[in-house]
Formats: sequence, structure tokens, C-alpha cells
Amino acid sequence: MILFRWHAVASWTWDAQDETCGICRMAFDGCCPDCKLPGDDCPLIWGACNHAFHLHCILKWVNSQTPQAHCPMCRREWQFKG
Amino acid sequence: MSLPNKRTISNTSNTNHTSSMKKAKSQTVACSVDSAKNGLHHDFNNTNNPDNDVVFDPSSLSLDEDLKTDDSRAPAAANLGRKKAQPPQPAKKLVIKLVKGKPTLPSNFEEDTWAKLKSAIKAIFLKQPDSCDLEKLYQAVNDLCLHKMGGNLYQRIEKECEAHISAALQSLVGQSPDLVVFLSLVERCWQDLCDQMLMIRGIALYLDRTYVKQTPNVRSLWDMGLQLFRKYLSSYSEVEHKTVTGLLRMIERERLGEAVDRTLLNHLLKMFTALGIYTESFEKPFLECTSEFYAAEGMKYMQQSDVPDYLKHVEIRLHEEHERCVLYLDVSTRKPLIATAERQLLERHISAILDKGFTMLMDGHRTEDLQRMYVLFLRVNALESLRQALASYIRRTGHGIVMDEEKDKDMVSSLLEFKASLDTIWEESFYKNEGFCNTIKDAFEHLINLRQNRPAELIAKFLDEKLRAGNKGTSEEELEGTLDKVLVLFRFIQGKDVFEAFYKKDLAKRLLLGKSASIDAEKSMISKLKTECGSQFTNKLEGMFKDIELSKEINESFKQSSQARTKLPSGIEMSVHVLTTGYWPTYPPMDVRLPHELNVYQDIFKEFYLSKYSGRRLMWQNSLGHCVLKAEFPKGKKELAVSLFQTVVLMLFNDAQKLSFQDIRDATGIEDKELRRTLQSLACGKVRVLQKLPKGREVEDDDSFVFNEGFTAPLYRIKVNAIPDEGNSGGEHKHYRESIPGPSISGSPPLLHVDAAIVRIMKTRKVLSHTLLITELFQQLKFPIKPADLKKRIESLIDREYLERDKNNPQIYNYLA
Ligand SMILES: [Zn+2]
Ligand SMILES: [Zn+2]
Ligand SMILES: [Zn+2]
Repeated sequence: MILFRWHAVASWTWDAQDETCGICRMAFDGCCPDCKLPGDDCPLIWGACNHAFHLHCILKWVNSQTPQAHCPMCRREWQFKG
Repeated sequence: MSLPNKRTISNTSNTNHTSSMKKAKSQTVACSVDSAKNGLHHDFNNTNNPDNDVVFDPSSLSLDEDLKTDDSRAPAAANLGRKKAQPPQPAKKLVIKLVKGKPTLPSNFEEDTWAKLKSAIKAIFLKQPDSCDLEKLYQAVNDLCLHKMGGNLYQRIEKECEAHISAALQSLVGQSPDLVVFLSLVERCWQDLCDQMLMIRGIALYLDRTYVKQTPNVRSLWDMGLQLFRKYLSSYSEVEHKTVTGLLRMIERERLGEAVDRTLLNHLLKMFTALGIYTESFEKPFLECTSEFYAAEGMKYMQQSDVPDYLKHVEIRLHEEHERCVLYLDVSTRKPLIATAERQLLERHISAILDKGFTMLMDGHRTEDLQRMYVLFLRVNALESLRQALASYIRRTGHGIVMDEEKDKDMVSSLLEFKASLDTIWEESFYKNEGFCNTIKDAFEHLINLRQNRPAELIAKFLDEKLRAGNKGTSEEELEGTLDKVLVLFRFIQGKDVFEAFYKKDLAKRLLLGKSASIDAEKSMISKLKTECGSQFTNKLEGMFKDIELSKEINESFKQSSQARTKLPSGIEMSVHVLTTGYWPTYPPMDVRLPHELNVYQDIFKEFYLSKYSGRRLMWQNSLGHCVLKAEFPKGKKELAVSLFQTVVLMLFNDAQKLSFQDIRDATGIEDKELRRTLQSLACGKVRVLQKLPKGREVEDDDSFVFNEGFTAPLYRIKVNAIPDEGNSGGEHKHYRESIPGPSISGSPPLLHVDAAIVRIMKTRKVLSHTLLITELFQQLKFPIKPADLKKRIESLIDREYLERDKNNPQIYNYLA
């Protein structure tokens, strides 16, 4: 009995420390309030401080905090993780 | 006002006369005058003459053109064609005449002149020739009128007419008891009078044009004749009564199928109209008779005949009555007559017709009869009753389709068929009536939601079957058509989320197992759902397609990757579907201890994936994995399509001959219930790669399993079906548990019923002989089934180890718990 073809199935989720986005309070499994679909359509982004947010949420945040935005969680200067 | 002189009248008369004679035309004044002159009676009653009717229509006399018509009862229709023959006469000649004839007047002038005229009138009434020249008669009337003796002349003529008419009608009293003969006599009498009055008028035309016209409240000679006829017809009431009765009898006879003289009817009814007594003397009793006749007929026929025949009969009757109005009744009778017939034949029987025949017509899809029903009901404003009958029919029939759990498998196709049939009837029979359309919609909405979530689930399931590969013989267009039809049902569903959940589950299966018949059809369905419910509804479904596309790309780049090329052991062709959590149905995590080799594969892929997509976690969904195995059985090589769990179990038998349930559980780490199901599928299903010891349908703790050395199968590629997880979707799924192979032939009872009945009986009896089992089955099933088919079902149940043959007597079955 030899296995020669295998269709495997895997599912992926975001690998964030928190369950929810610190800005919009929505689950990372879901999407930000502006989006309809989670996943690639509404990606997460990490800061240098290692806090993750919906990309759409942090962009809005950063744009509203001039000249310098800080991480909404730890108040450190916001830098996108390289 | 210009008065024509005698010359011009005479001339015109002659001209007119010759031309009409040449054409053998019907009676004009000139013609009548001519007949009188020659002493010949012109036969006005020549029924072969197409223009014969003119006799009864005094208005065809064109000379009335500028006569006064103070009698409102005079028929209005005029024979316009005739007028052309009467050009207006110049007035100058009249002046010359008047000067010429004035001076002398003999003392007995009036009496002498009248004597001449009286003799001519008498001759006319007696239908005898008169010696006096017509020209002289005109002259006589002219002379009397010119000398202002018109009033006296009029009275004298009236007296002559009255004497004759009175006598003529009196002569009808006590005449033939045979109604038809009697009616012919009346007709004759009437025609004679018309004929005679026309001749008299022809002679006394000048009187009509001068004295009558200039004197108020004096009838024209023609109207005077009619008035006298009317007077004596009613004073000899027996004559009038017999005439009316005769007419009614004749019409009744015609209704009963006899041929009657319609011309006679026509002429006599025209007489009633001409006399101005049609409505009062004829129409009233006629409508009463009609009402009685159809009341009786309606009752009788409703009892005797079935509804389609009854409706046909009504249709014919209404048509006949309509024809009657064209052929002999006055046009004004049409409305009340048809209304009377409709009331008695239809209105009174509406509910009886619906109760007795509507279901039968609907069940029989008799569009033509239904159309007839619709049209007839429309006439009597009974469409609302028809609509209500339709509503309750749909509910009743639909209830049978939706509520019978035994028929769940066919519910959707039955509903579609039912809907299609209703739509055809709506189009072909109900003239696309909008109210009816709404009725169908409302009734369907009611039906679909009778059983909460079940129809939603079944509709999703139905779509799954249609969209699944292997649905051969269906073209893209047909598939599209089916999808559209299903969508109509979908629209009625209130629990759209339930549908979505089921649809998603099935779509996931199709996508992951590569079972979609056509991605185009899948996408078309999604876009239809999007149109119906908005993108909110379909976003995640579309996301699933994206995942599938993306997975293809990932697999490609994985194959090219250095990880795959350097680290992957060779031999297994692996592909991975990577699902975005949130798009797909949630699958409960299921543990399994994979063979080391497979773990290596998974680890390498995971490493590759996470290197490409950072910030993610990847979880294996082993319960969804499936594999193809190559197996060498002593009786031949096979390719097995199995689940990952089945694979893991089967691989154990590469190193062992016999394994206990416990051994397998320990080795695979598969959860207890799941493992039992897996083993069942491998050792108790249709394809048995393993053998269970001891035999039986359920997997017990003490069971053990061996590799089936004797495995054979006709095909090289074999799919080992998984046993569906019943815990997932509730009790209603029980009927699907054992899917029976082979298409169910329409018209024959579903095999499931038979199987269920066999199991039911054996469960109570435990042990039963073949004959007794068959006997009980026939009692329970209540539908015809061939013994040979029953035997096949029993064999199938033995195969699936519900039953076994007794070791000592093959004619006896034992129930296996
Ligand atoms: Zn957010
Ligand atoms: Zn977003
Ligand atoms: Zn931070």
C-alpha cells in the first residue's frame, strides 16, 4: 500500500499576540470596519514595537497623528517593522 | 319649403321603377305602385330574395326623405342608398301648376275623387287589380290636397285601413293550434299589411308630403298603419299572446337541438320591433324563459357531466345565444340575454365547479380546460374565487411535497417541477394575470418556510448535486437554466443564512476535492446569489475561490523552491490547499498521528509557506486531506481514492496482518467516534479493503481487522466512500445515512423505503423466513414492487450486514444488531 498523491489542507490565521486590533477592537480573524473580507484583503501590519494592527486602521491612525504618530498600545514612536 | 309637383313625382317614380325592375331589386314605392297598376300582387314574401327584409323596414322608403317623422317609434335606420334616386326637385314648376289649376271646381268634385281612390284602396286590400290608372290616382290625391281637402282624405283613408286591419287581425283569432302554422299566418298578415300600406302610401304620397307634414300630431300614412296594427294586435290579445308563446316555443325547441325556421323568427321579431312592442311584449317573457331554461339545465348538467365537459357546454351555450342575437333577436337583447345565461350556467355554480373540478384540472395539467375556466369566470367576475382555489391548491399540493420527510430527497426537484407546471398554466391558461402570479409566489413562500431550515438545506444540497462533477448529460445552458429555477425557490427562503451555511459547506467540499463540474457555473451561481442578496452574502464565497487560485500558485512555487528540492523525500506528490480562516466553514480540529514521512512533508511545506507569508500561523486540517493509494491485492493492483484518515489506518497494515481496534486507535491517535467511522468505511461499506472480525455493521471495542486478501473490484480506480458524519447536521439526516447505489427509477418507490421496511421488520422479528418477510413487506409497503426487486434489496442488506442468511437454512434470515 503506497501513498503517492496527497491533497493536504491547511488554514492560516494571523500570528498576532492579541486577539483583537487595538484600534478598531475587531478580531484579527475578521477585518477592519472599512473592509468586508478578512485575510489578504485586510492585512495586519506590525510595528517595530511588535504590536499588530489592521493595516487600514494603523494607516488612518498614523495620518491623523502629525507630525509623529505613536503606537496606540505602548505609546512608543510608531515605526513599521522592517 | 319646396313641394314637388305631380310631373316630377311621376317621372321619378317611373325612372326609379325601371331601374329597380332591371336589377330585380326589392320593393320600392315605385315598384309597388307598378304592381298595383298592373293588378298584380308583388310577392313581398319571397324568402329567397336576399333583399327581402326591406319589406319589413319601412324606412327603406326613400320618399320619406323629407317627410316629417313625428312618430318617435318609426325605425331610425334608413336605406341611404335609395335616396340617390330622388334628386331634389326644382321649385319653379310648382308655381306654373298652381296658377293653371285654380279657377273652377265641380260641386261633387271631392266625392267623385274619393270614390276613385276608395276603389283603388279596396282593390289593394283585396289584392285585386284596379281599373284606374295610377297616374290618375296621383292626380286625384294631388287635386284633393291642393284644394285643402287633405284632412278629410286622411280620415277617409284611415277609416278604410282600420276596417281592413281590424278584420285581418280578427281573422287570426282561433286559427291553427299548430304554433308554427299560426306564426306563418301572422307573418303573412304582417307582410301583406306592409305591402299594402306601402302601395297606399305610394298613391297618397302627396298627402304625406303636404297635409301630414303641415299638421301637428298627425301620423304619416305608414305610421298610421303600424299604429292600427298594434292596436288590433293587442285588442285581439289571443293573437298577440299566441304569437309570443309561439316565438318562445320555437326558440326553446332550437335550444333543445331542433332546426327551426329562423327566417320566420327573424321576420316576426322585426315586426315586434317595428310595432314598438319588442321589449315589453317579447323580450321580457323571453328573458324569463331563458332564465328558467338555463337554471334547469345548469342544475342537471352540473350533476351529470364532469367539469371540463360542463365548461365546454357553457361555452357553446353562450356562443349560441350570441349567434341568436345576430340571427333573429334584436341587438339590444344581447346584453341581458348573455347575462341571464351566464348567471344561471356559471355564477350560480362557481363554487361547485371549483370544488368538483379545479384540482382535477390542475393535477392533469389541463391548460386548455383551465383557460376555458378562466375566460368563463372572468365573464362573471369570479376570478377571485378561482384565485383562491389556486392558492389553496398550491398549498395543499405543496404541503404534500414539503412535509413528507420520506420525500426529502426529491423535495427540491418536485418543487421545481411543480413551480414550472404552475408557471405554464399561469402563462397559457391564466393570461399571465398579475394577481395570480402573486398568489403563486405567496403560496410558494409559505410552503418553503413550512419546515424552517430543511428546505434551505435541501436547496443547497440540490445545487451541490447539480454543480458537482459527474453530472453528465447536462449542457452548460441546461445547468444555467436549472440554477435560475432554483434561484426562484431560493428567493422564497426566509432563512438565507441557513442556506448560506449549507451552500458554503458543499462548495468547500467541491473545491477541496476538485469536484466542481465547471468553475464557470460555480461563478455564475455566485454572481446570481450576489444579485439576489448583495455582496455581503457572497464575499466569503468569492474568497474561497481566491484561496483555491492562490493555492495553485503557492503549490507551483513550492515545487520550484529550494526547500522542496533539497529536503523533500521523493515519492509522494503533495499539494496543499491553504485556506483563509474566516472564508471557509469552521472545521473542528481533529488529531491524527501521521506516519513520520508525512510529517516531514508537512513541516517542509509549512516552513516554505511561513517564509513567504510572515506574521501567519498555519494549521493542518487533516480531516479534510485526501489521498490516492496504490495497493497490491493478491487478485490485482488497484488505485484507491481515500481520506487521509483512511490512509493512516491502511498504512498500518503494511506492517501488520491483523490489528485490534485498540491497536489502531493507539497507533493513529484518531478520535474514537471518527475512527469507528473510518474503520466502518473500510470494512463494512461497499468497498471492503479490510475485513472486520467478527462481521457486523457497527465497530465494537473488541473487533479486530485484517487486510482483505480476497479484495476484487471491476475497476482499477476505486473510491472508498467515507461514512457521512451524522452528528454534524442533526437527526433529519438519518435518511441519507446509507446512500443506496444506483439511480432511483422515477415512478418506482424509492429504494430507501424498501430497505427501511426490511430493517424495521427484521429488527422486531430477529429471525424470519424469506416467504414471511416478503409477505410482511407487501403489507407494509402498499405500493407495487416486484419480488425480484425485493430479493435484490435483501441481498444488498446482507452485503451491508444488516442481515445474514442462517447457516443451516439459506431461506431464513437473521437480523444482525
Ligand atoms: Zn483594526
Ligand atoms: Zn481593512
Ligand atoms: Zn506598540
